Amino acid sequence: MASVTLRGIQKQYDNHSVIKGIDLDILDGEFVVFVGPSGCGKSTLLRIIAGLEDISAGTLEIGGRISNEVEPAKRGIAMVFQSYALYPHMSVFENMGFALKLAKVPKSEIEERVRRAAAILQIEHLLDRKPKALSGGQRQRVAIGRAIVRKPEVFLFDEPLSNLDAALRGQTRVELARLHRELKSTMIYVTHDQVEAMTLGQKIVVLNGGRIEQVGTPSDLYERPANRFVAGFLGSPRMNFFEATLTGKAGRSASIALAGGARVQVAADVARAAGAGERVTLGVRPEHLQLVRPGQGDGIGATVALVEYLGDVTLVYAQVEGSEEMVAVKSDADTAPPSLGSRVELVFPATRAFLFDEGGDVFAPAWTENAAEPLARMP
Amino acid sequence: MNNRSQLGWTIAAVTAAVLLALLWAFPLLWAASTALRPEHETVSSVFHWLPQTWTLDAFRTTLSAGNMPRWLFNSALVSLLVTLVTMALSLCAAYAFSQLRFRGRGLLFGLAMLAFLLPFEALLVPLFRTMHQLGLINSYAGLVLPQVVSPVVIYVFKQFFDAIPADFREAAVMDGANPLRILWSVYLPISGNIVWAMAIVTFIGAWNNFLWPFIIVTSNEMMTIPLGLTQTYDAFGVRYAQLMAAALLGALPVALAYIAFQRRVTQGFLAASGLKG
Repeated sequence: MASVTLRGIQKQYDNHSVIKGIDLDILDGEFVVFVGPSGCGKSTLLRIIAGLEDISAGTLEIGGRISNEVEPAKRGIAMVFQSYALYPHMSVFENMGFALKLAKVPKSEIEERVRRAAAILQIEHLLDRKPKALSGGQRQRVAIGRAIVRKPEVFLFDEPLSNLDAALRGQTRVELARLHRELKSTMIYVTHDQVEAMTLGQKIVVLNGGRIEQVGTPSDLYERPANRFVAGFLGSPRMNFFEATLTGKAGRSASIALAGGARVQVAADVARAAGAGERVTLGVRPEHLQLVRPGQGDGIGATVALVEYLGDVTLVYAQVEGSEEMVAVKSDADTAPPSLGSRVELVFPATRAFLFDEGGDVFAPAWTENAAEPLARMP
Repeated sequence: MNNRSQLGWTIAAVTAAVLLALLWAFPLLWAASTALRPEHETVSSVFHWLPQTWTLDAFRTTLSAGNMPRWLFNSALVSLLVTLVTMALSLCAAYAFSQLRFRGRGLLFGLAMLAFLLPFEALLVPLFRTMHQLGLINSYAGLVLPQVVSPVVIYVFKQFFDAIPADFREAAVMDGANPLRILWSVYLPISGNIVWAMAIVTFIGAWNNFLWPFIIVTSNEMMTIPLGLTQTYDAFGVRYAQLMAAALLGALPVALAYIAFQRRVTQGFLAASGLKG
């Protein structure tokens, strides 16, 4: 096991900066997930840790040792590639033992380590097969097995589940979590899939445009997003945003007026706000919005545009009056959905809404998860 | 298309293929027919498709009287060396141009490709002078060295390597392999068919090369088959039966090599062209 420490890591291609100063501490045995949209730099950061990309500036420490110039094979790491990168002309056994063979490990030890890794992954019966004779899931296991036999201090995973179908992805997620518990190694995992990030990561690093937006546990990021980007990135459907103007602040409560004219109160500490007239963004997750008949809730007027029945839940998409924005509302499948084109009002608990300033940073919510949840009303 | 017109097209295509095959095979069959008759029959004023007297005399004379075994050995040795060295150099160069990042890579590759534009004939004099200065006239090194630089082979390998996902190289780097090991243990096995195809083409090219051996070799002992064929005449003129027997004997090893590796060559060219077999 080993810790990984990044200090001021930068990466430039020609004059184009893709990693813009990353500071991050990954502890011994931690399962850390890098998540972010395409092009955010998450894979580049992983490749920097692997040694497949040079570092333009900054310091990388693996196991307390500065590793900027250390060859990839000598960093004590192993990587599972998105494509698995199994050598097609070698058998599964040869693929798994290749690194050990290069390291001149005695044949008997190679045999023993490959068979032990194969047993962990339940692929002993595949050792003589070539990769082309394996299914996607089996290839994935072999790729992980190839990493395990090296007994690395740090495992790196570059979107390893993206080539699997949905059912196999779910199953492999569970197996990866089990593997982490058994091996107790440090694991760094790159994905753009927020479900993988939320389910696997003990710590999630949200990246955007080559910078870290927020680091925290899955619940930290979901319940207390630092900014609008993180709030919008995690959650499916994503958080609903309403452009608004601050109309007043009283203690730990803010009054805002939405673009469509509706006025609501949010439990947020807006002490640092300039004052009335400041442009803000209201954020409410789909599961915290409720649909009520017009006149019943004094909420935000909207028209139902689409209803999606997903079995366990129903998603209702509604067009907010006076704006082009479409909001998503998640409700129990047992609740009868409104009909298409019907007018509704959207209400939500004031203690479940987020308020973001013009720069996208969140105003600290003035509520806790266990707070009472009165519905937001127009004042 | 209905069945009748489809049958018509099939018959036309097969007929055309047979005619083309006969056209291609005619010189070969005629050479065989000539080599299997007595020498006097080859200059007879009466035309016969087949020998009036069947004999292997021309083959016996070619193999015993001339220096044919020696020329065959020279051709085999030179072609094999040219092939091995060309493959080794071209694979290394192509891997470097395709996978390694170093200053001047594009310029060097451009220079290598510029050699495409230079006909070999234009290099004859400077090459001969160089070989002469190195004392390599009438030597195997002199025969082999100028033939081992092949921009075409480098280009084909580079294109093939470019199409191999970089993940293989990076996985091998993570496994602790150096560039030469990656080439040998990963890229070479993956590129098996295209390497075989290029090797056979290079071997045939070296076997059939007449011009460079003609320039660099003056000794009968160092001649290769194409050069040796020019020796199959005497004071009375060309001996056609012997000439054809020598030509057939000379072509036989190459033909056998091609037949033996035909499948790999075809697969290699299909792989290089991006078509599936």
